Amino acid sequence: MIAQTSAETVVIAPMLVALVSAVAALLAGRRRRVRSVVALGGVVGYAVAVGALAWTVVLAPDAPGIATYQVGGLAAPFGITLVADALSAFMLSMVATIALASIVFSRRYAAHSGSRTFYYPLCYFLLLGVTGSFLTGDLFNLFVWFEVMLMASYVFVAYYGGPQHTRAAFWYVALNLLASAVFLLGVGGIYAVTGTLNMADLARRLADPAAYGIDPVPVVGLFALLLSVFAIKAGLVPFQFWIPTAYRAAPPPITALLVGATKKVGIYAIVRLSFTVLAGAQIGVSLELPIPGLGVAGDSPLAFVGAALFVMAAASILVGGLGAVGRDSIEGVLAYSSIGQIGFIAIPVAIAATTTSSGLRQVAIVAALVYALNHTLAKGLLFLAVGAVRSATGTSRLAELGGLAGRSPPLAIAFFVGSLALVGIPPLSGFFGKFLVFDAAARAGSAPVLGLLLGGSLLTIAYATRVWNRSFWGARTPAVDEATVDPVQVAVVLALAGAILAVGVGFEPVYRFAELAAEAALDAEGYVEAVDPGGELE
Amino acid sequence: MRTTTRVVVPIILVVAVSLFVEGHNLPGGGFIAGVLTTTAFVVVYVAFGLDFLERGVLGREVEPGKTPSRDRVVAAYRRLFAVGLALAVGSGLVPLVLGYPFLSQSYVVLEGIPIYHHLEVASALAFDFGVYCVVVGGLLTILSVVGAE
Repeated sequence: MIAQTSAETVVIAPMLVALVSAVAALLAGRRRRVRSVVALGGVVGYAVAVGALAWTVVLAPDAPGIATYQVGGLAAPFGITLVADALSAFMLSMVATIALASIVFSRRYAAHSGSRTFYYPLCYFLLLGVTGSFLTGDLFNLFVWFEVMLMASYVFVAYYGGPQHTRAAFWYVALNLLASAVFLLGVGGIYAVTGTLNMADLARRLADPAAYGIDPVPVVGLFALLLSVFAIKAGLVPFQFWIPTAYRAAPPPITALLVGATKKVGIYAIVRLSFTVLAGAQIGVSLELPIPGLGVAGDSPLAFVGAALFVMAAASILVGGLGAVGRDSIEGVLAYSSIGQIGFIAIPVAIAATTTSSGLRQVAIVAALVYALNHTLAKGLLFLAVGAVRSATGTSRLAELGGLAGRSPPLAIAFFVGSLALVGIPPLSGFFGKFLVFDAAARAGSAPVLGLLLGGSLLTIAYATRVWNRSFWGARTPAVDEATVDPVQVAVVLALAGAILAVGVGFEPVYRFAELAAEAALDAEGYVEAVDPGGELE
Repeated sequence: MRTTTRVVVPIILVVAVSLFVEGHNLPGGGFIAGVLTTTAFVVVYVAFGLDFLERGVLGREVEPGKTPSRDRVVAAYRRLFAVGLALAVGSGLVPLVLGYPFLSQSYVVLEGIPIYHHLEVASALAFDFGVYCVVVGGLLTILSVVGAE
């Protein structure tokens, strides 16, 4: 058995905090005071644990850049390895921010609804699943964390128990069960082909298949299966159809968490598996389509991943943007908008996958990460603002809203900042996200992609303006006149607006962090070395 | 049906205990023992009705068919679930305090015990018992709530 030092314990700390908080919240049961102390203490502890992880592993002057943890003291590749590098730390910091906002916001939200005993435990299980997905270095373990995350989100989609919530939950559960089956099939296939599921071991074997006596070609097809599962989680077209109903059905603070955390798990999984695991493989890929001129060819499986992502991302930008323009409720617009925005995150990932220049690859990954950060903050803010509007007026339909800006100026300011960040106006975080994505596309020299991004941005401006005009300006409707806005909720939303502004103004350290994360994503050798999968199977 | 139940339930419970105890070396463990224990309860429920546990076994006064009677038992099941989860997580945290990785396990072999002579006590038993409580509590909550409808 290997004794573990406290420096390594920091890797597992965020998971333990989430797990212990979930159990404590469950034990607190109906006692109101205890429950809110546990809920608040848990998420603050989580943020501190993530901060400590990011600092000791990545940001401190003498940081090692990567740290591993062998659960149960079993050595890799047999035991489960947890790996924290800059990419994991970046994603975790993002999630911790939105989780803090969402759970503080929930304090008032959860107090008014039924079945609130299970609200916080499920929140923490959701958080646990997300954290586990970011930290695990084992493919099957990734599947397990996906399931933990899904179990909690199933309950939240059906939380209010009305007919439309039940219907949304039914589709959500059916789709995700199918996705889980496909995931399991892919994982099983990869194990059959390569003989390992440890990601570092997998990367090592794929880079030099002859030495391990394996034939890596089927991995490309199996990875395509996994890619479709991750695309469902991220909500890329053609797997986007569950998003609008599910996001409308879940409680708004949870929707903020789903959009800020679980969607990003899909993106993270694509980035991690493509660039850390699959990048070293040399497999000829050639896909001929019946239409002349369209086809994929290259000597790395990434060429195939890139092409598939391009198509999905482009379709997402169009479907999301066009869909958002015509919705009749704020949540509807935001849900479609998040389909489009995920497209904006996937485009640079696709550019990184297709290019062969390592410089451009890194620029593109940085762009995707910064855009993901902006999307988490801005979309999280907007969904929380919808929650505040809904608990104040009882509705979020555009036809029944109007003149909210006069009723609650702070809420309107926060919503305005969130919308501008989505559109990408300087000096907010959204500007840098958009700028870096355009920069990556320009460096790749692809005019159609630039045109697509431009069109998507114009659609963003169109629907953001429409929501703002319909609900915050104009004459006050009766629903708005009688509204009383909760100060805690507005404070949370304003704090997020402040965070967006702070990221935009002090962008330099954020950019450095994203750069480190991109380096870590592309450094497959460093990853393998840190995990050290050890000797051969006898 | 009731006669069979009287014979079968003790057997099921004993098999469940044996599966639980040998779980760390042989096929078995907290999950499967929990499921088996639940089936014993299910057989009792089917043969004697949902109120039998409280009226017949615990000797409480219950109005048949009322929800509060069931609620008391269900609340106990839920507590069992939460306590089991806490136990499982807690057993994982203990090695952390002692300076070993999360979920590390060990075992002690005790010699010179009457009848057994040689008994192996594994730390995995604590975790398994937590799992057992979670499974029994969770399944019985679902069964009695859904069964009442």
